[in-house]
Amino acid sequence: MAGLSITNINKRFGETEVLKGVSLDIADGEFVSLVGPSGCGKSTLLRIIAGLEEQTSGDVQIGGTSVAGQRAADRNLSMVFQSYALYPHLSVGENIAVPLKMRRMNTLQRLPLLGGVIPGKAQRAAEIAKEVAHAAEILEIAHLLDRKPGQLSGGQRQRVALGRALVRDPAAFLLDEPLSNLDAKLRVQTRAEIAQLHRQLKATFVYVTHDQVEAMTMSDRIAVMMGGRILQCAAPETVYDDPDRIEVAEFIGSPKINLLPVELSETGQVHLLGQPLSLTTGRRTKGVGSLGLRPEALFLTDRNAPLRGQIVHAENLGSEMFVQVEVNGLGSRITFRTTPDKRASLAQGATVGLDFDADKALVFDAIGARVRDIHSTTTSKTEVA
Amino acid sequence: MSLADGVPHEAVAAKTKTHNVKERRAAWILTGPALILMVAILLAPILVAGLLSFTNYSLGNSGFDWVGTRNYEKLFTRSTYAKMFTATLTYVVTVVPISVGLGLGAALLINSLGRFREAYKTIYFLPVMATLLAMAIAWEFMLHPSIGMINRTLEMGCGTFLERIWPFMANGCAGHFPVWLGDKRYAIWVISFIGIWQGFGFNMVLYLAGLTSVHRELYHAAEMDGAKSAWERFRLVTWPALGPTTVFVVTISCIRAFQVFDTIEAFWPQGGGPNKSTYVMMFAIFEKGVQQNLIGIGSAITMVFLAFVMFLTLIQRWLVERKVHY
Repeated sequence: MAGLSITNINKRFGETEVLKGVSLDIADGEFVSLVGPSGCGKSTLLRIIAGLEEQTSGDVQIGGTSVAGQRAADRNLSMVFQSYALYPHLSVGENIAVPLKMRRMNTLQRLPLLGGVIPGKAQRAAEIAKEVAHAAEILEIAHLLDRKPGQLSGGQRQRVALGRALVRDPAAFLLDEPLSNLDAKLRVQTRAEIAQLHRQLKATFVYVTHDQVEAMTMSDRIAVMMGGRILQCAAPETVYDDPDRIEVAEFIGSPKINLLPVELSETGQVHLLGQPLSLTTGRRTKGVGSLGLRPEALFLTDRNAPLRGQIVHAENLGSEMFVQVEVNGLGSRITFRTTPDKRASLAQGATVGLDFDADKALVFDAIGARVRDIHSTTTSKTEVA
Repeated sequence: MSLADGVPHEAVAAKTKTHNVKERRAAWILTGPALILMVAILLAPILVAGLLSFTNYSLGNSGFDWVGTRNYEKLFTRSTYAKMFTATLTYVVTVVPISVGLGLGAALLINSLGRFREAYKTIYFLPVMATLLAMAIAWEFMLHPSIGMINRTLEMGCGTFLERIWPFMANGCAGHFPVWLGDKRYAIWVISFIGIWQGFGFNMVLYLAGLTSVHRELYHAAEMDGAKSAWERFRLVTWPALGPTTVFVVTISCIRAFQVFDTIEAFWPQGGGPNKSTYVMMFAIFEKGVQQNLIGIGSAITMVFLAFVMFLTLIQRWLVERKVHY
């Protein structure tokens, strides 16, 4: 097992620049998710790490050694593919054994009939069978070893693909959207199992997904990628609570963060819909920006509400409830979270007042960069009202 | 529903019954035309041929006698028919593996090309599209012992080092080069060569179609699993994925090989090559049944021919269902 270090990777496909100077350091045993919308370059980056794709410039190091010019087969990495890529003609056991056979047996020993009489084959085969059985045990697929992939369910195939990856103790595991072909329920279950597997193996995992929930729930760190760049790479809670950029804030979190257009004055005062809010920033330049409010940062209030509007839609999830409000004067909807016991007062069309937790408010400037120096001015709130 | 409507139970049953009868009748009416055509065009002629193979019928005769299995006895005892089976099997056993192998090789090579793919495809497919009868005439000219291009080209090798390392060349230069189509040692191989030349492009196209269905990600998985050489990737991914295609290609090639006729008819219209060395089944059927009007023996050969083809088809079905479907 080893850490990975990616330095200033660029990748072009003809005229299209897919990766623009991506750098990322992954510690030994760390679980890092590459998350972003489709086309952001996350899969390309993973394939460059794997060696299946060659970078236009930049360097990849595995365990401190550059692997430039080394082909995928020599990099000692394991990969789980989105389609699982199991060999359809081989049984589950044979599929898991392939990486070991390829590395430990020579061409003659691998021959179907003749291989049996080549010296050393029987002993190697026994070793391999033992390791395959061990991997199958870890993944609880020992009873499936004789079946063909075609006879397995999606979840079982996924386990076989994981088995094939972990059977040979690689430097790192690369997972390319391994859960996206599973149904919702199985996905939640397998998510927990992969996280558990990571704890058990203490191996380096690089996990590509477009699903921010997967990234949030499994990773030590999340690298949010967009437009061929890593916008932010930090622990899940940091990416959620303290995003560097508006794109990151928008991408991470479900339901999506509410973004309200605000104006910033020379004094640092933040104005929403022409009204000053109880927020000031340390940045004393005039301009427009955005106020990001997560659904849980908003709460219902009767008096002095900076936001008022009509309820247009409510989603009761049982444990919590998300309500969409058409805000007066804004022309867009915002979503807030509440508890289902308030649903009596939240009929469709009802007018509600909303306020927000100033500590949880995120302010972004005109180009989407985070404005961090924010102060709550609770006193001025009453004056304004 | 019957209770709610107040209709007696028996009436409903009767209604269902008439409905069933109607439905059955409609089914027969709809399948009828296809069924009649199938019986009239496919099954009846085979049945008639089967019956005729036990007679001494000739076209134009008012009657015929039943001769029992005498036609079949002739087929399996006379030396002419022994030659027929030898020629047919030699042709099939030569042409099928080589044309399948070349087809696969060409498909793999073309598939690995970035440019000129279409050009190569067209070139290799040209012999398939060309009329074999016309091509046979061209081949006949090229194979002509004295003025043909092939022997002329071989003569150019006389006096060079080829004469020293290749006994065939030495013999040719000392005496004369083969008569090809007139020599019983060469005739069947020349026919086989033309069969391969003509047929492998078809197999190549089938394999190219098969190759498009190979999952790209499997090659990446193979690379990650340590399959470094092209041969290893072929063994692990390509060849298994082409299993269904191979079964189909081999069966089709076999059936086509059994059916070889036009080159032989074009080269030796009067009877199956030098010393009957290229007297293949299709030609025998034509000669006996059509030229000599011996319908009985012609039908018997046809039945044996059909049995071969049926046997191959059954093997294919079995393989497709049991072995190569994952």
